Amino acid sequence: MITSSGNGRGTEMGWTIRTVAAAAAISALAATAALAADDGPVKVGFIGSLASDTGRSTLRGAQIAIDELNEGGGVLGGRQIELVTADTGEDVTEGIKAYEYLAETENVDFIVSGSIDDVSLGWLPRMVEYKIPTLDTWTSYIGIIDKLVEDYDAHKMYFMNIASDEALATLYVDFGKDVLKDKMGWKSVVILQEDTAFGNAINGLVSGLLAPEAGIEVVDTIVYDTQTVDFSPIFSKAVDSGADFIYLISSVNGQVVASQYVKFQVPMPMTGISVAALGQEYWEDTGGAGGGISTLSPIPSVGFALDPKSQEFADKYIARFGDERPKFPHFNGFNAYWGTLQAFAAAEEAGGFEPLDAWVAAMQDQDMILEKDGELWLRYGFWKPDEVEPRTGRTYPHNLRFDITPPYEDGAPSMVVIQWYEDGTAKVVYPPKYATGEFQVPSWIKQ
Amino acid sequence: MAADIRLRHVLLWGLFIAGMCLLPFVTTPGTLRTVIFANYLAIFAMSWDFLTGRTGYVSFGHPFLIGIGAYSTAILSYRFGVPVAISIPAAVLITMLAGTLFFLPALRIRGSYFALVTLAFMELMYQLVQVIRPDITGGTRGISGVQTLTSGAFNNFYLSFALMVVIAIVLWTLTRTRLGTALSAIGMNEESVRGSGLNTTKLKLFSFMVSACVAGIGGAFYVHYLGSIAPRALFDINFLFTIIVAALIGGASTIIGPMAGAFFLTFLLEYLRPVLPGSERYFIYGAIALVLYMYQPKGLYAIVEDLAGRVRRKPTQDTVRDRAA
Amino acid sequence: MSQVVIQGLLLSGLYSLIAIGFTLIFSVGRVLNLAYGAYIMLGAYCYFYITQTVGMSKPAGFALAIAVGAAAGILKYLFIVKPLKGNHVAVEISTLILAVVVQAGIVLLFNDSAKVLHPIVPGVIWVGGAAVTYNVVAATLASWLILAALYVFVRRTHTGRAMQAVSMDVKGASISGIDPDRVNLITWIISGMLGATAGVFFASYTQLNPSMWVAPLIIAVAVVIVGGIGSIVGTLIVAHIIGFMEVISTTFIAPELRGVFTMLLIIVVLVMMPRGLFGREEL
Repeated sequence: MITSSGNGRGTEMGWTIRTVAAAAAISALAATAALAADDGPVKVGFIGSLASDTGRSTLRGAQIAIDELNEGGGVLGGRQIELVTADTGEDVTEGIKAYEYLAETENVDFIVSGSIDDVSLGWLPRMVEYKIPTLDTWTSYIGIIDKLVEDYDAHKMYFMNIASDEALATLYVDFGKDVLKDKMGWKSVVILQEDTAFGNAINGLVSGLLAPEAGIEVVDTIVYDTQTVDFSPIFSKAVDSGADFIYLISSVNGQVVASQYVKFQVPMPMTGISVAALGQEYWEDTGGAGGGISTLSPIPSVGFALDPKSQEFADKYIARFGDERPKFPHFNGFNAYWGTLQAFAAAEEAGGFEPLDAWVAAMQDQDMILEKDGELWLRYGFWKPDEVEPRTGRTYPHNLRFDITPPYEDGAPSMVVIQWYEDGTAKVVYPPKYATGEFQVPSWIKQ
Repeated sequence: MAADIRLRHVLLWGLFIAGMCLLPFVTTPGTLRTVIFANYLAIFAMSWDFLTGRTGYVSFGHPFLIGIGAYSTAILSYRFGVPVAISIPAAVLITMLAGTLFFLPALRIRGSYFALVTLAFMELMYQLVQVIRPDITGGTRGISGVQTLTSGAFNNFYLSFALMVVIAIVLWTLTRTRLGTALSAIGMNEESVRGSGLNTTKLKLFSFMVSACVAGIGGAFYVHYLGSIAPRALFDINFLFTIIVAALIGGASTIIGPMAGAFFLTFLLEYLRPVLPGSERYFIYGAIALVLYMYQPKGLYAIVEDLAGRVRRKPTQDTVRDRAA
Repeated sequence: MSQVVIQGLLLSGLYSLIAIGFTLIFSVGRVLNLAYGAYIMLGAYCYFYITQTVGMSKPAGFALAIAVGAAAGILKYLFIVKPLKGNHVAVEISTLILAVVVQAGIVLLFNDSAKVLHPIVPGVIWVGGAAVTYNVVAATLASWLILAALYVFVRRTHTGRAMQAVSMDVKGASISGIDPDRVNLITWIISGMLGATAGVFFASYTQLNPSMWVAPLIIAVAVVIVGGIGSIVGTLIVAHIIGFMEVISTTFIAPELRGVFTMLLIIVVLVMMPRGLFGREEL
């Protein structure tokens, strides 16, 4: 047993030694702490999971940007940049500790994050407290942008250079109208949604718009548990609903539902959001059982035609990290690369990351347009606090400046739809301006 | 129930408190942040230990209690604008109510079965938080922007330390009363305690209530320190792991043990960060915990006591630990 | 209706396979092996590595997965269970720590992205509105086969009967000349092998990821709790109760409450009938 009596054991002398030893041990641990950094290099902190493809994409994107700046003679009057990492292990509490570590032990000037939703939400109160300029490159949770809407002053140091969830719903509705309804002739959908906050939010947005805007009727919604072992009853239910296609919303354990769809050869087309299918490793990880899956993806997605400058970055990435997962950067790797460059450009204009207001003003004015064949292709800019996006009629302070009205001449689209074909290639299938392939239903479905 | 407390004890506690109070003046804010986490972990570990270390009812569901305390005050203050002066005591009460729920199985089962049912409580709560009223609980993403009581490493250090040390002293005093002795006796042999005419159900209920109360206080203040809450951070096997290992590595059924264990684990993980930035850190951390636990299941407390005993060339009771095991 | 029966039978087959190794240790060694999920994970990753990374054949993958499971069982018994000398709580807690360490090790070796196994037997057929993959049928058949073989082993062989004896009364068994140490070691080896095999099948249903050990562990725990210290037949029955409950709640009630029902069942059974539905039975 692990229990034993705590009473009357040991001597009074023993107690003395123990207490003093405990106090001494605690003081000793404390005294060896690292000392604060001086004014030498500019410090950039990375927060995210070092074991995940997305975390590594952000880290490496930032690393390449920093190395370029250092090779170019440094920043802010010739100072070198030093990158320090703080691993979160995708754990919420570890994320908070990691932010504290960057802020108080490493005294970083700027933080670039590849965190997932709940981890970002976890450290957000710390960001408000420390007021460190922070750029998020992976989470697209609109709730964080809403915090800027509610209390701009407290959160103004936050920038998110990926289009937030709300913008993706509009793109999906357009895709539904142009491709699913008009081209494929589908009129009804069954929504298959995972039981997470992400699933609820996307479902709320999409199902509200599909009928009025795209003319697709939602006949049923099936919410499933993310730990589901066997999706057979769920697909049976979906098939029984008699809808024309399934709209999947999946972010957690997404390989299970997607691979079972393929293994079961479910006789019903399926599209939607499958976060697992966003990286180049998807094919390898699913052992090829990913064919036919299509999903919305932030840009630049897999199968996305790159502009020359982004291609240059991708080449550098491959040359340096091409032997190790992820062999090709995920979208957030690009975001981290351009975002870090922009953060430093803003710092040059504002004279540093402090005072905060000057940097924030300079950062929200950053606007980089990447062209391909003389056309606007990608745009890295930010919505200003009071700017109203015309289609949704709301503000998106410090969110990536996305464009959700074709022909996308004012900015990049919020998302694109990609599809993994059964031969293992992936292509962009919507919107037409960015398309490199066509939307197809899996071969086992007889239309 | 006069406690067996000597002047020497008072002096030593005083010395310990004074030493810790000076800490902010000799160290950096970054270290203080780590100490804050250690303080909260110490509270959780003491809460676990007061139940499990004393009575032998192994709880695998402590995150359930802590999480209920944390969620109660977070929801009350964030969603309904209840002032924290009310929401925190309310959260503690709710946690104690949940503690009675926890207590019911203990009337009939113990040992491994009890451990499993408490684990099931934790898993159930993890699922329920996501399914039932996610508009209130925040679902899987949780709630961010919960009101904080104070800001900065300095203030939070004193707050968390004050909480921790008050709880430690109260629990320590309890263990030095006859009540504490009776509780420990339940851990040794419940039947014989019942045979000696004591009401073991009342004793167990008392122990459960104290443990739940401490878990509730810890959980509530913890969430107001973090400023955010998520199901994955609380109702999670890794959180459970940290609490249990802190108590065991320090030395179960002592008050100093769980405290020392909490500090050891928190600093170990944090000090590995610069050396092993990646996922190796968790591997080494877990491996050290396993080896230490296997080497001495009674924890650092027993190791230190062993050493002290050896220095004084006089065998203490613990050198014959195998007898108890 | 036929759809529910088919899906329930297949899922229950998998669940019996997952639970049986856990039951075995709980019956013979009287210990909850919380690192049981780690066998499942080790087996699955091992099979994945051999067949999909190295590219060797499926039997080779199985053989290695089972070997690794057996090795894990031996190591665990020799270095954790035996030194702790029957201190059940210490064993449970150290296996919990071990499980977390193995998880960290898997993250280290394979990174934390999810992976999918090729079906062990490819192909699918739709019967009565239910998708039935040959892979799932294979898993269920394998499960029945393994359970039957185990039943025969326990009842008919000398070693099996020794296991039964130890599970009922350690002291009595050692008096009658059985070496409980050896029997325990064998049980841990078999449990490791069963866990690794179940892991390959479980992963072929779902996916591989570093936290995949938790879900099957919960299934195994549920089966053991609901069934009581289990017999092989008891495990089979309870696995079917849980499997069918899951399919029925998914089909007719609410798929998102899948896990909630299992947890409620555990709590209710434990509080109402602490000895489980079947109480203490023979192995």
